[in-house]
Amino acid sequence: MVASCTIPAFRAALVALCSAVVSCALTSCASSRVADLSPLDPGQKGVAIRCGKILTVDDDDRVIERGLILVREGRIAYVGSDRAIPAGYPVADYPDAWAAPGLVELHSHIHGGDINDMVLPVNADLRASSALVPANPSIRRACAGGVTTLFGIPGSGTSMGGFGVIYKAKTHGTYESIVVRNPGGLKVAQSYNPERRAGDLGATRAGLSWIMEQYNEDARAANREGTSTLALENLQKVHSRELPVLIHSAGSDGYPAAARMWQVDNKTRAVLSHGCFDAHLTAPWLVATGASLNVGPREIDFTTTRDGRITGTAAKYLAAGAKDLSLNTDSPVVPQEELFLQGAVAARYGADAYTMLRAVTIAPARVFGLDDRVGSLEVGKDADVVLRSGDPLDPRSRVECVYIDGQVEYDRRQSGQWF
Amino acid sequence: MLRPQASILAASLLIAGPAAANGPFVIKVGRAETVTKGVIEHAVILVEDGKIVMIGEDLPIERGLPVIDRPEWTVVPGLVSAYTRIGQDSEGGDDMSPDVRAKDELWPKSPDMRKVVEYGVTTLGIYPAGNGIPGLGVAIRPLGETVDELVLKDPTYLKIVMRADSASKKRIKDGFKKADEHAEKVKKAKEKWEKDQDKKAPKKEEPKKEEDKKDAEKKDAEKKMAQGEEPEAAQEPKPDAKTDKDKKPEFVPPAPDAKSRSFVELREKKLRALVSVSSGAEFLHWIDALGKESILFDVRIPLNQDSDVFYVFDKKTYDLDVDGIGDRKCFAVVEPMLTFTPNTRRVRNLPLELSRAGARPCFTPRVDELASYKAWLGHVGELVGAGLGHDTALRALTIDPAELLGVADRVGSIEKGKDANFVFLDGDPFQPATRIQAVMLDGKFVHGEVDQ
Amino acid sequence: MIRLESMRRVAIGLALCAVAMPAWSQDPPAPAEEGKEGKEGDAKKDEKDDEPERWFAIVSGDVHTGTGEVLRGATLLSRNGKIHSIGYDLYIPPDTKTLDAKGFRVYPGLVAISSQGLLGNATSDFDDTMDPFNYRMILGLATGITTTGAGTGAVKLKRFAVGGAVLNQKIFATFSWSNSNPRGKGELREKMKAATAYLRDYREWQRKVKEEKELPEPSKRGVDNSVLAVLQGEQTAKFVANDRDELLGIARLAQEYNFRPVIEGCMEGWTVADELGRAGARAIITARARRAKDERQVMAGGASIENAALLHKAGVPVAIKPANEGIDLSGLVGRDIMHLPLEVGFAIRGELPDKAALESITIVPARILGVSNRVGSLEVGKDCDAIVTDGDVLHYKTFVQWTVVDGKVVYDKEKELYFAHIRPRPEGPAPKKVDAGETLPKDEPAAEEKPADEKKPADEKKPADEKKDQ
Repeated sequence: MVASCTIPAFRAALVALCSAVVSCALTSCASSRVADLSPLDPGQKGVAIRCGKILTVDDDDRVIERGLILVREGRIAYVGSDRAIPAGYPVADYPDAWAAPGLVELHSHIHGGDINDMVLPVNADLRASSALVPANPSIRRACAGGVTTLFGIPGSGTSMGGFGVIYKAKTHGTYESIVVRNPGGLKVAQSYNPERRAGDLGATRAGLSWIMEQYNEDARAANREGTSTLALENLQKVHSRELPVLIHSAGSDGYPAAARMWQVDNKTRAVLSHGCFDAHLTAPWLVATGASLNVGPREIDFTTTRDGRITGTAAKYLAAGAKDLSLNTDSPVVPQEELFLQGAVAARYGADAYTMLRAVTIAPARVFGLDDRVGSLEVGKDADVVLRSGDPLDPRSRVECVYIDGQVEYDRRQSGQWF
Repeated sequence: MLRPQASILAASLLIAGPAAANGPFVIKVGRAETVTKGVIEHAVILVEDGKIVMIGEDLPIERGLPVIDRPEWTVVPGLVSAYTRIGQDSEGGDDMSPDVRAKDELWPKSPDMRKVVEYGVTTLGIYPAGNGIPGLGVAIRPLGETVDELVLKDPTYLKIVMRADSASKKRIKDGFKKADEHAEKVKKAKEKWEKDQDKKAPKKEEPKKEEDKKDAEKKDAEKKMAQGEEPEAAQEPKPDAKTDKDKKPEFVPPAPDAKSRSFVELREKKLRALVSVSSGAEFLHWIDALGKESILFDVRIPLNQDSDVFYVFDKKTYDLDVDGIGDRKCFAVVEPMLTFTPNTRRVRNLPLELSRAGARPCFTPRVDELASYKAWLGHVGELVGAGLGHDTALRALTIDPAELLGVADRVGSIEKGKDANFVFLDGDPFQPATRIQAVMLDGKFVHGEVDQ
Repeated sequence: MIRLESMRRVAIGLALCAVAMPAWSQDPPAPAEEGKEGKEGDAKKDEKDDEPERWFAIVSGDVHTGTGEVLRGATLLSRNGKIHSIGYDLYIPPDTKTLDAKGFRVYPGLVAISSQGLLGNATSDFDDTMDPFNYRMILGLATGITTTGAGTGAVKLKRFAVGGAVLNQKIFATFSWSNSNPRGKGELREKMKAATAYLRDYREWQRKVKEEKELPEPSKRGVDNSVLAVLQGEQTAKFVANDRDELLGIARLAQEYNFRPVIEGCMEGWTVADELGRAGARAIITARARRAKDERQVMAGGASIENAALLHKAGVPVAIKPANEGIDLSGLVGRDIMHLPLEVGFAIRGELPDKAALESITIVPARILGVSNRVGSLEVGKDCDAIVTDGDVLHYKTFVQWTVVDGKVVYDKEKELYFAHIRPRPEGPAPKKVDAGETLPKDEPAAEEKPADEKKPADEKKPADEKKDQ
């Protein structure tokens, strides 16, 4: 009797233990990494940043007054309250500054020229990385605005524009020194833009969706058969969920259609980008699909919702329960350096301000699988630290200094105030 | 039961004799919506010589009188459209022509104008075409052989189009300036006349006085000739002169010339203005243009989907500096349509809001065309469905436009003494299934049942 | 010389500096343009004295007067639309309409140096063409703007009424000083020369004609009237210029011919700030203007986020305008007139001091438009144009709760649909829940037509030591 009672209990305990292990493995390992307070070796690069306040934007939303960040070999070795600094660390003192993670942008076109190749309606085999110009003037200015990680993507001229590249906004450096992941993810455009431009079949949404589905079917078939071709290999990774897909779509017609196609039917890691006009009216359904929402650059709607209200769309999605909502600039539509302002505007129009800080840091990192490296100030992550004179979302706060991978990429005192 | 009216009926029977074209006859219907005296069930209406002689509930009728017995019908007064140009050519008055009369362009044979009777319309208020201050309106019946047979009242109102621009304000100022000039003229003439009166005191001066009088009248006559009016017979003063010695002489002010008459009469409150304003701003600019002038006016509000005139319906709601349209109890000529609060899809019923604010809506058809006249009752019915009171809606088609036109003594309700203009329907006028069965104008069927 | 006299005036004015003094005594050397308008304003005030008195008070708010003073928990009292007193323990007459601003801040109504569409489609003759009900005016008032430059004039956002909204007209004479039109520069110089010569001859003549009555007046031929108006202080010279050497040229012209230019754009002004300051220039800038430095130049150039701060430091009064002067509801947020305070935030980013930042959208544009005797700060005698906000007006989350123009509440955030749903005011009536397409119920007036009950002056708000005899 006793034995039979304990077996289900034991099984339950085992299940609990396993899920704990699994969830521990799935969550950012950084949070369980241990701080390293050993002295800095002479051959190693590092810095001790002392500042007035640290917004870690970690899962506990820790805010540290009078904090210290130890950077070692491009990674964060310690983030916490000020303390005795281990030997060997040069010290950077910012007694009045607030430290926050470098901002993460998922929808950007400032990586170089050539953002659309519009001969064929589908270009799943192209890569934006070919056009990447490291440290170009727009990227440098973005850095001065506190943006440190970007997903540079093709435009919306065709339904599948190609694969974008994830890179760091260093103000000097080579391709190799800035690329984080290439291909970073697929860029799809599914409302308003491609319909105008496709040449042959594909002048309508029905046509474009049909063409894309054919490609998707081929990729899934290749995955099943275990084959791979140059043309399809990246699309196959989207369907095996190794890479995410960012879909430009909007309106109460286009946004749910994109969710249906990519999240529900194709079961990919879908990040629905824009979601403007009256798409927010479908927010509850969208949130229920589990798709990630990436809002911007338009953040209010008045003319299509037509209820006399100026509706903040981010607030609407949050109210419907959206998790890991992220914001974008679609730069250069909104200048890249103003990604923080997208957060401020979303907060103005009804969203919680701190959630909007997360929406430009950890949330985009998480939905794109970058949160092992960027998005928050935690031990083990890249030392992408932005020091500002105040609230990161407030336009009045000036950026004092930007570290990317532990190196100073922008220092207001040295190079003057770029932004 | 014998009632006082019954004896009158008997009396009229004796007088009338056999049924004749203008002879008396009786209409019996299930329901009469009189508009001014409530609803009468089992109504009995006695008509003679084109007028309503009597109306009452279940009045006994003497045998011999022709009777139109339709217990399934409802009767309402003939509809009045106070602001229309149906059947008229689109000749415009120019920007400043307060003397132009719509009467002068009437064409009795106009087919569209004549056809409106089929849709129950028995009185029309024709306005002069054009922008600015195009001129004076006229009230007519739609059928007649000559212009005189058509005209019920001339003029009805002075049409003024108000837009938010300096030109509109200038026109109004110019109009009152002309009235000022006339007032100056009158003042000078009066001064002159008074001076002449002073010189009259001694008898010796009489012949001189008579000559002066003759001169003054000659001048008047000349002036009147210039305006195209008949001068009074020059001989008249002479015989009167003897009696005038005893009678205190009265000053006859010179009549205003064509260009200033309308504004003079506005000031004297002998003429009303109908001002077209399409937005709240235009109404305020109108009041601003009026300044210290106090005139009688009503408004014509051409409605569009996003009309914001509701801002000026009353003073209190938006704390205006001036009285609103409702506070002034204006007649407001509007189309029967629902609108939106600007920039939204929230529906508004502006005719209802107008009537709540104290104004008196008068309907025009949605578009000034026969097709809209045909659908007129249906369109008004939509507004009733959206909350407008049945009585307010019916008034806005009958007695209120009649009052606006100044012909409410003759038309607009089913009352003793008024013209026998009726619309016979097979039900509630504002129900979508109801159809017009017959229309009577001045006691004669002009649509529907012909044999009396 | 005009300049010396006015400098002396400034010195005296500064010496007499007191809280409640009208703004124009604190002005830097300026021609008589503002004083002129002030006299007209006073005349209008006298006309209104036979009106019944209309009292209005904003009570218990933190009053930021716009002159640098902050009075916490103070009362602002207005009579017939003009500010009567600001302070504590004020006597509030009976029948005063009050607005309870406890927990809120009170600022001067903002002044947009220029805007588009706030007055409806009107572009001129505003007293005859203004649309005081148009939704863009409501949004302007919701932003806190109560006065705007319009055309060459300045107009108040007077809602619900027409007439009396135009505060000033024909303020500017616009000139061109551009590298792409070198001949134009020469021509302007010539005109200035001719006008100066005429003025000199005219003064001579005025002196001599007292003796020699027959002396003919000097000829005005060849004298440009706009230039003359500028030199006589009747109009303000306005330039649109961004390049460093264009700005230098304007500064030098201004110093030579003795006028204070207003320069719109002024992107590279920070590189020649000192020169502009000496010339008495005023700048209208957009903080986020972007322009790369001309790489052929060795000197500093291009746009800078620090433009406003550096100009201000050099004594150039700075007025701020957004990139888009109209209202943009297409979805992209932050660059239009509805977000004017955000633009100022970027100037603060560039280290413009907080006081100058508030002034850049209040008293500085008011002075440039020649209406600073009436608007631009909360001071006794000025128009009661104020905004009540739920926080620092320059913070990105702050909304205007009420806007007051001429001592009358003309905008209430809770009563308009636009923003009432965003962080609704706690004590106010709950915003009416309305779905798109809702029809009015039968025989029931729509809630938005009914005004919320007027804030009745609560007896407990009256000062305890009220000396009124009843």
